[in-house]
Amino acid sequence: MIEAEGLTRSYRKGAVVVEALKGVTFGIRQGEFVAIMGRSGSGKSTLLNILGLLDRPDRGRYRLQGVDLSCAGDDEASAARNRTIGFVFQQFHLLERVSALRNVMLPLLYSEEDADDGAARAERALQTVELSHRAQHVPSELSGGEQQRVAIARALINEPALILADEPTGNLDAQSSAGILDILRRLAEAGRTIVLVTHDREVAARADRLLVLEDGRITADDTLPSNPPRPAGVA
Amino acid sequence: MRRQGRRRHLARGLLLSLQMLAAHPLRTALSVSGLLIGVAAVIVMVALSEGAERRLLQRMQAMGTNLLVVNAAPAPRVAGRPRQVPIVTTLRAADAAAIVDEITLARAAAPAVSRSVVVHWEGLNTTTTLLGTTTGGLRIRNIGARSGRLFDDHEADAQARVVVLGRTVVRALFAGVDPVGRFIRIGQVPFEVVGVARPLGTDPGGADMDDRVVIPLATAMRRVLNVPYIHSIFVQARSSADLGELERQVHETLRRRLDVRAGTPEPFLIQNQAVLLQTERGTASAMNRLAASVAMLALVLGGIGIVAVMLISVRERTREIGLRRALGATRRDIRLQFVLESTILAAGGGGAGMVGGLVVAGAAAAAGPWDLVVPWSAACAGFAASAFLGLAVGAVPASRAARLEPVEALRA
Repeated sequence: MIEAEGLTRSYRKGAVVVEALKGVTFGIRQGEFVAIMGRSGSGKSTLLNILGLLDRPDRGRYRLQGVDLSCAGDDEASAARNRTIGFVFQQFHLLERVSALRNVMLPLLYSEEDADDGAARAERALQTVELSHRAQHVPSELSGGEQQRVAIARALINEPALILADEPTGNLDAQSSAGILDILRRLAEAGRTIVLVTHDREVAARADRLLVLEDGRITADDTLPSNPPRPAGVA
Repeated sequence: MRRQGRRRHLARGLLLSLQMLAAHPLRTALSVSGLLIGVAAVIVMVALSEGAERRLLQRMQAMGTNLLVVNAAPAPRVAGRPRQVPIVTTLRAADAAAIVDEITLARAAAPAVSRSVVVHWEGLNTTTTLLGTTTGGLRIRNIGARSGRLFDDHEADAQARVVVLGRTVVRALFAGVDPVGRFIRIGQVPFEVVGVARPLGTDPGGADMDDRVVIPLATAMRRVLNVPYIHSIFVQARSSADLGELERQVHETLRRRLDVRAGTPEPFLIQNQAVLLQTERGTASAMNRLAASVAMLALVLGGIGIVAVMLISVRERTREIGLRRALGATRRDIRLQFVLESTILAAGGGGAGMVGGLVVAGAAAAAGPWDLVVPWSAACAGFAASAFLGLAVGAVPASRAARLEPVEALRA
């Protein structure tokens, strides 16, 4: 699914050049639930941005579903983001004043295929995150946990193979966090590949595999004991 | 396939842009208000200017079309003292006939005399202008009968004491009485009123063309003024394009007939309607230039307003732009969205200004004393220019939005 080979990335911060990634190599198989852990400044966000085609590595190769996207142009990268990748952000990034349903439909705007059944697909995505009853609410009328579930539904609408979650529970209380992690867990069971970035050991513990990033290098790669999702509805 | 998909995106993006604009109604309204007021002002100005043009043409028509007027010149002073007769007395009725005979560009010519007179009826009197001319002169000067009739050639030859009254004179003397068939006195001479002239309004010089009484030329010369000479010749050209050349030929003919030697002043003055029209048009075109300047200014200010609002919008929505890029928007998609928004803004402002301007111009034309022509073409041009402006000025904020790096935009 993902093959990363010797990824490096540095950028300027004022006069200093920061080496965020110093040669990162790993692979992720289809259907894996991987947590990337590290302190702030360890390079985990940079790595996620590269995996999400929001950023490009200086050196190294990045293959997604067998396609080398290290040097993809804007059109190719955008199309891959739209079709293959679903993003979940710490700050949710929902459009205010726009209903949950319309927020979920947003990626369809940039899809190449026609989406005459867009509303139906959005409803289904909202069902997956158990939020059908809030479809017509705007974000300000939703709790933080609900907003993040809308964001997950949005990430799911184009049925992406890969879901990238950047501190998805960072802005949530414990109970909402558990709900979000359960949803991600279930998606993984259903065969989606999930990469989750966090600095929280407990959150990372819900994944199948843990990559630890320190100072731009991978320092640990562990398989975790299986932890099935709690029954739906508890969240 | 891909193209078709893109077009569908355009429609969806349009809807989205409208939603975003509707989400900030006050800002949207403020940003387009400059354009709105500008376009409306231009439309009203064009309406006024076209109205003035129409009024001018109507007045020209009322004077008589394709008209030259030859007037006897003021008499030259002798030893610094004015003469008893204030004008040159050499112009004769035969000169008018000669003009038609000799100049093919002249369709018709008619001699005329005029003087200020006092008109009496039943103890009332009013000062007005006496015009004595031939039936041909009536035709050239567009004088018709509203009630009663005009005098005919037979009466003209017979020096009949018949008169056609202008509306202003009728109002002064005959309150609520039909003047046709009554007898008035012009000076001491009694006249029968045979008709009332069709109102003509004011001439381009502002003189009231209805404040006059019209009698046959011969009657005026023999019975009222007692003069052998005439004051004016009305000459009608075959077409307005001939007026300049006709004027030159009339000069030539009259100089020859009046035996004017080279270097001496001509004893006549020629008024050319075309020149009059040009002068008036000059004023009108100054007004048009002003309208055009206002239009340019309005577009520039409107454009600045829209650019400013769009730049604010791009800055404020940086995160949204980052999100859209993450969800699969290409740089092109982002650029398109902002260009669309800018175009919608400008077209909306221009459209509202168009409607506002048309409503104001239309209402003023219907209600007020102003001469206004509702300028549909200017309105459409204003709208089109606004939309194009939006398209053009949207490019700057749109490419700024498109240049944003998604990672940084999301962090903003």
